[in-house]
Amino acid sequence: MYALLLAVGAFAVFTLQLDVRVRNEFEGRRFALPARIFARPLELHAGLRIAQADVEDELRELGYRDVPVGDTGWFKRSGNEVEIALRPFVFWDAAEPARRVRAVFDGAKVAAVQDANGKELSLARLEPVPIGGIYPAGNEDRILVRLSDVPKHLVAELIATEDRKFYTHMGFDPKALVRAAASIATGRMQGGSTITQQLVKNFFLTPERTLSRKFTELVMAILLEAHYGKAEILETYLNEIYLGQDRDRAIHGIGLASQFYFGKEVKDLTVAESAVLVGMVKGPAVYDPRRHADRALERRNLVLRETRDQGSITAEQYMMARSAELGIAPRPTTGTSPYPAFVQLVHRQLQRDYDDKDLRSEGLRIFTTLDPRAQQAAERALTKRITQYDKERRFGQPGLEGAVVITDPSSGEVQAIVGGRDARYRGYNRAIDAARPVGSLLKPAVYLTALSEPSRYTLVTPIDDGPFVWKSRGAPDWAPQNYDKKFHGMVPLRVALAQSYNAATARLGTDIGLEKVFDTVRRLGVDRTMKPFASTLLGATEMSPLEVAQMYQTIAAGGFRSPLRSIREVTTQEGKPLQRYALKVEQAFPPEPMVLITAAMQGVVRDGTGQAMKSFLAPEIGAAGKTGTTDDQRDAWFAGFTGDRLAVVWLGYDDNRAAHLSGSAAALPVWGDIMAALLPQPLELPSSEGIEQVWIDPQNNLRGDSQCAGAVQLPFMQGSAPQERSPCVSVAGAVADTVDTTVQKAKSWWERLFGR
Amino acid sequence: MGTLVRTLVILSLAGCATAPEPGPAPAPVEQAPPPASTAPRENTAVAGLMESARTDVAAGKLPSAAASLERALRIEPRNPRLWQQLARVRLQQGDFAQAENLAARSNSFAGSDTTLRAENQRIIEEARAGRK
Repeated sequence: MYALLLAVGAFAVFTLQLDVRVRNEFEGRRFALPARIFARPLELHAGLRIAQADVEDELRELGYRDVPVGDTGWFKRSGNEVEIALRPFVFWDAAEPARRVRAVFDGAKVAAVQDANGKELSLARLEPVPIGGIYPAGNEDRILVRLSDVPKHLVAELIATEDRKFYTHMGFDPKALVRAAASIATGRMQGGSTITQQLVKNFFLTPERTLSRKFTELVMAILLEAHYGKAEILETYLNEIYLGQDRDRAIHGIGLASQFYFGKEVKDLTVAESAVLVGMVKGPAVYDPRRHADRALERRNLVLRETRDQGSITAEQYMMARSAELGIAPRPTTGTSPYPAFVQLVHRQLQRDYDDKDLRSEGLRIFTTLDPRAQQAAERALTKRITQYDKERRFGQPGLEGAVVITDPSSGEVQAIVGGRDARYRGYNRAIDAARPVGSLLKPAVYLTALSEPSRYTLVTPIDDGPFVWKSRGAPDWAPQNYDKKFHGMVPLRVALAQSYNAATARLGTDIGLEKVFDTVRRLGVDRTMKPFASTLLGATEMSPLEVAQMYQTIAAGGFRSPLRSIREVTTQEGKPLQRYALKVEQAFPPEPMVLITAAMQGVVRDGTGQAMKSFLAPEIGAAGKTGTTDDQRDAWFAGFTGDRLAVVWLGYDDNRAAHLSGSAAALPVWGDIMAALLPQPLELPSSEGIEQVWIDPQNNLRGDSQCAGAVQLPFMQGSAPQERSPCVSVAGAVADTVDTTVQKAKSWWERLFGR
Repeated sequence: MGTLVRTLVILSLAGCATAPEPGPAPAPVEQAPPPASTAPRENTAVAGLMESARTDVAAGKLPSAAASLERALRIEPRNPRLWQQLARVRLQQGDFAQAENLAARSNSFAGSDTTLRAENQRIIEEARAGRK
């Protein structure tokens, strides 16, 4: 008797405890939704320089099909035209509806953008490519749906297949229970779970298969039914259910599964399509329609048959669905992100403003600056060259590593990040975290400091590249060598930079003063303590490729510093704007010295250590850059910019072995490959009233004219150009030249104003 | 289920997020002089975005105006009028430091367009006065 009372009492306590747990957890538990990260949207407009194939690639990356199927989510190519059936998308500033857009191409350029009726559109913003997320534990990913958005036929199929008495039972099916009990008796425990029980299992319990767990599940299912309605349970089930794996990302819920397998919203699923998903409930890996199409098809047809037998779909619907193809979207699987290195940078920038917990659960939408084209070009170039160098040099394992950063020089937006030779690797990110000696990449800062004093230095001021020794108390004497182990005597300043002469640079830097140079480096945007040694001038300082990009960005933007940004906007899941990361500029240098240093860096590429660039880019592009090679060739760098992109490339070994690769022989080709693939805009020097262009005779660095052999036109700050004329100048030529310069000035002013 | 909780969390999150876009400043800003008659026809995409920025400014939607101008700048980063308009928006928002820097950026592409330069100078002076 007491024993019975005790048992009843224990059961009551047990049930009460479970009841509290069910109510607390079911009500308190929200689905953790990952923050979703998007690339920059591609904005099509007449005049945009982009190849038709690149636009089509981006649409494919968005999961658009290349044949018209349904209302949206496809494109159709006919010759030089692409018709696009855009899906609706909620941007941070506006909701773009579903619509048709036609883009007409002319070479690698958009000639026109029109709507469905042929009316010109000034701008068409495509959906941004999703590039990953910041996921909750277990990398669970899902898109929440409401029951009202789920097609009736999907629910019918689910009930026909998984739990026919769902609407009438109290959480369990007594008959099934008896069967289950029988199976336990025979030692083969098996199913008989209602939808409610399945939900309880997924929601509250661990996957062990014991009798006591089965019992707990049963009690909890009854409690759940007692407290909540069928609709609420069903909706939660549809959002919870596990429906497959995309590498390390777990696909949960019918909403995400519709996107992942069919590239459409759940409300648009056909009878046949929803049957595929319902069929997967039993075993998402076994019935994966991408890996086991035949099994998935067979299972789908079974689901359809059962649904028909239940009378939930008509015979006609059944016949149609049965004869339909599987219709799986061709979207490539990407795991948590196809671009993990970029997402890492985004995540870090977000952590300054958001709790990590919120990022992993609130379903925020993050609009970033990633340019998929730039990213792919960077990955392709780096992989190709590293493979080639590995083969040529045979240095063994671990292999050569590398990193790339690409930015928009005018705004500081980061367009691409490659963190290592394996771009899909989700670990050590060399673009952000590897601080390596920058070598000669620091030289532009030395020369910029000098050129800021026009009374002392111009591009043609003679600099002494004789042997140089730096003595300092407490430090050993330091005597830098040149790369070619020779000294070159007096050379014009621009040549000392173009040829990357070490002795000349060390002498120049110590003449101006280390502190002044370090101040320049800081103003360029580098926040690092620099050791007060002359060797620092030659790049003993360590920086990450991202920091180098920041330093060069300020030069590329004419002295206007913009902090590098990878995020544009953050919105809530519903699209309500939370935060905008606005473009910020700060003038860190007057314009004139920036014109001079940029011209000197164009010289590096035109006829200095970067001249190998001519096999990658046409000379008209006028790219500006600098090579960097450190002691024993441990690091090979190239950093530079064209009119519309800036890129930094680093190559080396993680363990700091000598790579025997130089910046010009190894890093430059990566940079050249990237830029050549991205149709670069020419780099134009901004004209400034404080600057005049003067012809210089390179024989004697005196004022020449266009008729002088080998004459070059160089910028000078007003009044600082050499006055003395070279003997090569003819009187007639001088007159013609003045006219020439005026015409050129007017033209470049005109072009600038017109943005052409 | 849980929808309310979710909404609440998101609302509180919205509250915590720093607002980098300051609200409209009371200081009224004079309208810019009309563009010179020699003004070239802008890219239609840029023209459209400038127009929507103007509409937004008129409606007091300054962050939205700034966003449109940034979109336009991605298309034409060397267009001094865009930099100038953005400077004007920042001035109106009371972000004097950005207003001054953006006007200076506009100048760096203004060439010898004296009208444009004069307007930039006016913005710079007003921004400096505002900072005091």
